[in-house]
Amino acid sequence: MRTERAREGRRTLGDPALLGVLAVLWLLLALFVLYPLAELLVRAFSDDGRFTLEPLLSSLADAGHRAAFVNSLVLATTVGVLGTALGLLFALTATRSGLSRHWLTALDAAALLPLVSPPFTTSIAIIFSFGPKGFISHHLLGLDNVTAYGFWSTALAETLTYFPIAYLTLRPILSAIDPNLEEMAFSLGGSRWRIFRTVTMPLCVPGFANAFLLLFAASLADFATPLILAGNSFAVLPTQAYLQITGMFDFKGGAVLSLMLLVPAIGVYLAQRRWVGRRTYVTVTGKVGQRSRSRAVSPVAAAGLAAASVAVAAVILYFYALLLYASLVVAFGANETFTLRHYHVIFTEGLPAIRDTLVIALIGMPLGGLYGVLVGWLIARRRFPGRQAMEVVSMINYALPGTIVGIAYLMAFNDPPLALTGGVMIIVACYVFRYSPTGIRATVALLQQIDRSIEEASASLGAGTVQTFRRVTLPLIAPAFFAGLGVVFIRSMTAISATIFLVSLSWTLITVRILENMTELALGPAAAFSVFVIVVVFAVVACLSAVLRRLRTPTAGAAAQSLLGG
Amino acid sequence: MKLLRLAAIALAGWLLAGAAQAADTVNVYTIWPENYARPMFQEFEKATGIKVNFIRFSSGEALARVIAEKNNPRIDVLFGGPVETFAAGIKEGIFEPYKSPSFDKLPARFKQADGQWTAIADDPLVFMTNNAFLKSKGLKPPASWEDLLDPAYKNQLQMADARTSGTAVTRIFSVLEVNKRDEDKAFAYLKKLRQNVQVYTKSGGGGTLPVGLGQAGGGIFFIVDALETRSKGYDVAISFPKEGIGTSAEAIALIKGAKNPVEGKKLIDFATSAAMQSKLAEHKVNFVPANPEVKTDPALAEILKGATIFPIDDDYAGANRKRIVDRWIKEVLGPQ
Repeated sequence: MRTERAREGRRTLGDPALLGVLAVLWLLLALFVLYPLAELLVRAFSDDGRFTLEPLLSSLADAGHRAAFVNSLVLATTVGVLGTALGLLFALTATRSGLSRHWLTALDAAALLPLVSPPFTTSIAIIFSFGPKGFISHHLLGLDNVTAYGFWSTALAETLTYFPIAYLTLRPILSAIDPNLEEMAFSLGGSRWRIFRTVTMPLCVPGFANAFLLLFAASLADFATPLILAGNSFAVLPTQAYLQITGMFDFKGGAVLSLMLLVPAIGVYLAQRRWVGRRTYVTVTGKVGQRSRSRAVSPVAAAGLAAASVAVAAVILYFYALLLYASLVVAFGANETFTLRHYHVIFTEGLPAIRDTLVIALIGMPLGGLYGVLVGWLIARRRFPGRQAMEVVSMINYALPGTIVGIAYLMAFNDPPLALTGGVMIIVACYVFRYSPTGIRATVALLQQIDRSIEEASASLGAGTVQTFRRVTLPLIAPAFFAGLGVVFIRSMTAISATIFLVSLSWTLITVRILENMTELALGPAAAFSVFVIVVVFAVVACLSAVLRRLRTPTAGAAAQSLLGG
Repeated sequence: MKLLRLAAIALAGWLLAGAAQAADTVNVYTIWPENYARPMFQEFEKATGIKVNFIRFSSGEALARVIAEKNNPRIDVLFGGPVETFAAGIKEGIFEPYKSPSFDKLPARFKQADGQWTAIADDPLVFMTNNAFLKSKGLKPPASWEDLLDPAYKNQLQMADARTSGTAVTRIFSVLEVNKRDEDKAFAYLKKLRQNVQVYTKSGGGGTLPVGLGQAGGGIFFIVDALETRSKGYDVAISFPKEGIGTSAEAIALIKGAKNPVEGKKLIDFATSAAMQSKLAEHKVNFVPANPEVKTDPALAEILKGATIFPIDDDYAGANRKRIVDRWIKEVLGPQ
């Protein structure tokens, strides 16, 4: 084992292209992940140049903080489980229910909505629907004085917001499973349930683990949803950290609370590696079988799946209908006369923000996509010194709450020679390193399904690392590439927690404008901006799917066909 | 295809057309919402020809940024925002003392003795209630702190969280003053009030929209936010407690190491003078002017008529703020 590893190491060192890529990636990770983190640690654990554990100890001693830590874990686990289940439901419906293309496109679109919408939208829709005078709780159900704040509404909002990540992770995996495999099991006399349990599900295990990990980390780092919905009796760490910094002006305390979040995030990652990492889940072997219509799901089950998915989609669509309505009336709840005035506002006063956001998203998108597949491929396929370290480091910015990443960037890149603040690159870098882990995880999960022998064949025919990657691996993992690309683009259009600290006098963002509108009680422009963002993201995603369809990659047909809806 | 390419080129051109920078500029973080700050800056540009580059943050975010940028400041002036944010900034050493020509005319509570900050406006608290809610419960707008303890308000009040909001700190100190600084009595009241609170919001104005929409029955807000809610068309009542309620000053300060100190000082001169504060009413910015030379707008004065409003004693609040807020978090905020 050891000699094999040493040989792998030597092979890495003997491959100049690989070595170069590794050097560049480590340099970038050091600059944009480790250096800001180090800056943060120094702030948290030093006092007048001396090392101190005092802030950590006093945080741990605080019962309120300990409760917040436990609450964060409970919430993240709940969201992870519910979100993965919902993602699986949608993925199964998409790949196994035999719904027509039009229905699937509509479902995809609904599933993407929460992912592509700016922060706060789901939370606000929930308050409007389930609050004391909420549309559903009061007007439909006649309940009086219900409360919309607390654990369940937070968990519901986060699940709806993040489950599309699980869907995007699970769908390519389910569709990459050769239906002939299920077909074979079927002809060998297995019952449908048995096949589902013993063939289909086990092959999805890497997908479940990845989806859970991504959702868990996303929920752990989310501060915007609890900020609005958690209320007073359910405190979570990211919100506490945010309050500590922006409210109590206690930077050390905030930094310590955020660093506490890294512990469970890394814990889940390690657990995932332990249980999932070692097994093999190969189903793509090079010779793609004749596609056959899956019979693995009975017509009744298929109808059930479809019905459940449509129900969830209906809830989501209702939330967004509310948003569209708010953008088209003078003042939601007070003066409901039709007007286009809010759209006029966003295309005049809001135009600089729109332009800046588009520039940032368009620069970040290809960089993020490429970075995601490169790191994912290296982690899944190459043996090189520091591989695990790279995997962990690449996840750090995703797992930390945005507030802390934003402030760490602000501190790390404010002074020469690294004076990036005020510019566009700092925002782009923040998005790329914070949101590419989706692309990385998708690549890893997909590669775990593809037999190495395909690449080995290429290598043994004399192709170098670069050529093999470009001509064999890249086409195979194109869906993951586009998933990563899409997520970076979407997040560039919609995220706020980190970048609110990085926007500057010359570069601002739509999401910051939305928050500003909310502060001004200008619900109309805020809703109009949100609708605009959703429309743009859908347009871009549709283009991506079109490109993807044209590529017609050799990866199992359906996966290539459409990953991002349509 | 050709058309598509042309469109792409046009889009790229538009995207690349960055904003050109004018020669005379001043860079500002404003804590006042943009709809209040923008007209003031436009008046300043008209008066001096100096362009204001600005971006808006909440007080906590603005302060966190200025502190992080300390070694290489990106702005010249921090504009608007409650005095207590500026008090926290003094401890971080981020301001450059500067006394504008109006400095001497201002009463003591509207300036920091060394000129670290100067007040540009005053902002009293008010009770704001939803009229439909009052009607459904057969209530009158609350006219006393005790009125808010009425069980009819159970789970119906929204107000700010003292961990994040200056509004909340001003509110708590108001209760202390009303109770003659008897802390135990004040906290007994605050704990009773907690029973009627639906949620403590993160920002001072966070509850105004829910109250406007009827998701909550009422709350305690700064008058600017309350009047803004009303002007948006929401049917809300504004009232004052007979025992009196506190007010908080809004300030401006020059940043230490500012790259455009001359222009920055000009903006401070403008903001602290009658030149700007007499324009507040015209632009429907409902702050009470701090400069004694400026008369309060008649409409605003009408609302304030008969109200008992007292300033929060800076020394007392400064010395006790942290302890009181900590006690509030422990005894009031947590699960009951």
